[in-house]
Amino acid sequence: MKRVAPIPPSLGTRFLALLVDSLLLATFLLMGEFLGRALVFPVEEGSLRTAQEILERLHYAALGGAGLLIAVVWHAARRLLGGTPGLSFAGALPQAESEVPWDLTLRGWFTLLFVELTFFTGWLVTEVNLGTFFTNFDKAAGVIRGLLHPSGAVLFEGLILLIQTLFLAFMATAFAIPPAFLLAFAAARNLTRESPAAKFVYTALRTAMNLTRAVEPLVWALIFISWVGIGPFAGVLALWVHSVASLVKLYSEQIESIDRGPMDAIKATGAGTLQVLRYGVVPQVIPPFLSFTIYRWDINVRMSTIIGFVGGGGIGYILKPRVDLGEWGEVGTLVLLIAVAVWVMDLVSARIRERIV
Amino acid sequence: MTAPVAVTVERLSKVWPDGIRALDDVSLEVREGEFLAVLGLSGSGKSTLLRCINRLIDPTEGKISIFGRDVTSAEGAGLRALRREAGMIFQQFNLVKRHSVRDNVLSGALGRTGTLRSLFLLFSDADRAEAQACLDRVGMGDRGDSRADALSGGQQQRVAIARALMQRPKLILADEPVASLDPALRNSVMRHVEALNREEGITVICSLHDLDLMKRYATRAVALREGKLVHEGKPEDFDLATLKSIYGQEAEFGFEAAS
Repeated sequence: MKRVAPIPPSLGTRFLALLVDSLLLATFLLMGEFLGRALVFPVEEGSLRTAQEILERLHYAALGGAGLLIAVVWHAARRLLGGTPGLSFAGALPQAESEVPWDLTLRGWFTLLFVELTFFTGWLVTEVNLGTFFTNFDKAAGVIRGLLHPSGAVLFEGLILLIQTLFLAFMATAFAIPPAFLLAFAAARNLTRESPAAKFVYTALRTAMNLTRAVEPLVWALIFISWVGIGPFAGVLALWVHSVASLVKLYSEQIESIDRGPMDAIKATGAGTLQVLRYGVVPQVIPPFLSFTIYRWDINVRMSTIIGFVGGGGIGYILKPRVDLGEWGEVGTLVLLIAVAVWVMDLVSARIRERIV
Repeated sequence: MTAPVAVTVERLSKVWPDGIRALDDVSLEVREGEFLAVLGLSGSGKSTLLRCINRLIDPTEGKISIFGRDVTSAEGAGLRALRREAGMIFQQFNLVKRHSVRDNVLSGALGRTGTLRSLFLLFSDADRAEAQACLDRVGMGDRGDSRADALSGGQQQRVAIARALMQRPKLILADEPVASLDPALRNSVMRHVEALNREEGITVICSLHDLDLMKRYATRAVALREGKLVHEGKPEDFDLATLKSIYGQEAEFGFEAAS
């Protein structure tokens, strides 16, 4: 076996490194300006009060340009100054340089300072206020007291809608199984290596599923509410979309981890592609698929509460107005019902999954 | 009088994407009815050679034909028809663990069964009777309903032989068929392979690393070293000097002390 010579960083890698460095340095400078204005000149121009107001006044263009300039200089003088964080990020750092302890490099100290600056800037940007956290407790105590004294008034209605929630989550999962099962084979890398067309389908499918999953179920609920109207069916559809994307990911990862042996054996009998999948792959993945599907139902029960908040049916639908009106006793009842349901689902699904695998 | 040619391998090479040359310009010819043993260290290319013959692996260069038909250029249905001619037996048995023994043997008939029927495991009565006969032949006739993973290694390998037999093959490719088995059980499996060779006239190409097994079962043997064919001959031709040239000077052999 021959050892492969290290590949010199390509132009694309160098460009990526420069881009990352420019962004880092520009962000660094802007955070510096933010802290400076907030701490050193708190009343500059007489009107700076909130973090947002400072953010509006930062010199984005100038400091962005300065960041780019420093990055270019650092790249040009890298023999003197050592590799940049961007080069390290892009994986273009020479072996010898990446073995130097971090505290002996400019890159290391810059990174440390950057993280510290981020923390202090973040403290001000998110308006952290420990004073109110420790002194204003009595207002929250009222809410907590309400939650701890559940009112029986919504118990029956809550139970009925809890049942609807469980069914809602179940239907979303059930509808998700067939498409996810079929798509998972095309989204498994080990089954799509043979031809360029299959590789393209793999990449396209993975990307589409990742994008689908990146969109919150809440957003899907809003889309489907305007499509099929307010109610549990909209919730089913919202969770269905999200479940398909998640199950395709879980299923296909399972397919990628199968034992290749039986597949080869079936192929060697002269079997066609579908037969190889049916005999060489499916028997191996059915138990984990069942396990993932039950887990997904469990997750869907939790998610359906939030879906209900925006009109997707289930128990969340009656929880929202009570939160808005401050009926804490009734909120307490509903929260308790949800907690018990989630807890039971969790136990049951864990138990079943243990039995299957 | 020589038998017709079963398998021809001409100048076969396989280079993996990482640059490793698994097979280097290998040529050989196997005649019908032969029991050819393929010797060599792990990683010498034995498994790659066998898998190129039924195209589980695509060779980089060279040409292979079985029973006069070109394997290297075959695609789709033509390739599947050629694969049916060659039953394969694996070191790890490669049964479908969650299927019954009977369904595993029936999967040997997939190449001649319609796709739709086979997706629902609907095999004909004739196929079922044939599967039972194949199981009887390897002494597993009473275990048809067991789940494959409930069997011992030796039993699983016998079921795998029945699966290969179910293909009605003219050639058997056996890739280290007994290497994962207890030494005491090796002959019980090898004897079934030998029976197919002797009684059915099925040509056998079998990679082995056990020299005693080679001497007992093979009619001819070839040896690979680092992907190259380094020796070819009758089992009795493999003397100590030859073996050292195959396995390296550090190698020791059980019969060395005695001789």
